[in-house]
Amino acid sequence: MIKEKPLILLLIGIFSLASIVSCNNDDTQDQITIDDEIFDPNSSLNTIFDGKIFSIPSPVQTAYLIKQLDLPFDATLLIDNSNDGEYVSEFKQALNLGMYGTDLGYSTLYNQKSATMKYLTSVEKLASELGLDAAFDTGFLSSYDENRQEDSLILLMSDAFRQADNFLKRANRKSTSALILAGGWIESLNIACQLNENRSSPAIERRIGEQKRSLSSIIEILKVYTSKDTNKELIAEMESLKESFDKVMMTYEYAAPETDAENKLTTFNHKLDIAIDKSILQEIKTKIAQIRSNIIKV
Amino acid sequence: MFATISAGAQDCERIVQNCEALLKSNSNGSEFISDGQVYTAFLDRQEVAEFKTTLFGGTTYRIAASAGSKENYVIFTIKDPEGNILFSNHNYKNAPHWDFKVLETLPVTIQTKMDSDLKLTGCAVMLIGFKK
Repeated sequence: MIKEKPLILLLIGIFSLASIVSCNNDDTQDQITIDDEIFDPNSSLNTIFDGKIFSIPSPVQTAYLIKQLDLPFDATLLIDNSNDGEYVSEFKQALNLGMYGTDLGYSTLYNQKSATMKYLTSVEKLASELGLDAAFDTGFLSSYDENRQEDSLILLMSDAFRQADNFLKRANRKSTSALILAGGWIESLNIACQLNENRSSPAIERRIGEQKRSLSSIIEILKVYTSKDTNKELIAEMESLKESFDKVMMTYEYAAPETDAENKLTTFNHKLDIAIDKSILQEIKTKIAQIRSNIIKV
Repeated sequence: MFATISAGAQDCERIVQNCEALLKSNSNGSEFISDGQVYTAFLDRQEVAEFKTTLFGGTTYRIAASAGSKENYVIFTIKDPEGNILFSNHNYKNAPHWDFKVLETLPVTIQTKMDSDLKLTGCAVMLIGFKK
């Protein structure tokens, strides 16, 4: 009958649509085909290189350590941002964005409004030049005007840098991501070295020594994610710095961790001794200051 | 007829958002501060992604991992400089996040893979946060 045919066709259509919807909502793999992009080693989805991913500790952690030690805020340690509009290359823009991010974190933690706004402006400018406006949007910027607590601002800032990192990796701009991370680390280490020079602190000296493995990661990441040899000179400088860090001795002693399963918390009880003498500290301080100076200059 | 789905960038992005929520959830209301990076890998079957990082002393970290809408697809394992396994979430039903109290600084290697009993292949995302 003619009237039944449209009903049958409708039912077939509904069944087909239901099948499509159920497939879309199902995580099982037998119904999924994979984009060729996934298998492209240069794809933004593949941050594995020879099975490795890279990680650089956040410079905010060193800023927290400094504050915990009750050391006074020292604006002379930070970048004079008069050059922030002058960087033309993505190489310099990215490195300096990382460095300004560190300075922003440091001044934020110390509730230095004037310095914070200065570095916020620089971060905004460089982020825009690198096409990262979405990560450092008006919401992020206006938060600094809302008189929030320092910890809340640090959270926002770290989230913004993570969003920028995510965006860059998805956009196949891992070299830019690597440079931002490297810049942040360099500035953080320089601040620690200069503070220690002004007033010697075993805790800061230890934190400097603890950067040994992070430096190796940074050199790797700069070598892997490089665009047309632009990182060559920086890599050479960092490898020279590594020669000094290679003299830092680390002695590890294992101890069994303790786990509180109910609270999903594991405590690591090991010991790590770090031996770093004054001459090594001086070498590191001199070298990192020179690296930093080369990055800042236009 | 079955529709085919492309597990591409959009899927990874959705998983990043899942993972961000895991980093922020905390019973006492405080949040973990992101280390500023997103660790993403496409894993196929028994492939393992690994990275080295340093966990600084005097800090509590949270590691959050996700590979889809269900929260137990990813197995992550933390090893010390000597290769000793310090922790694996596989011992805790592949818990999607776990906190680590680090008394003294520790260079570690973190390995990540899919639990092949639950998911064979796909995008895995890991985030690391810390609080003082």
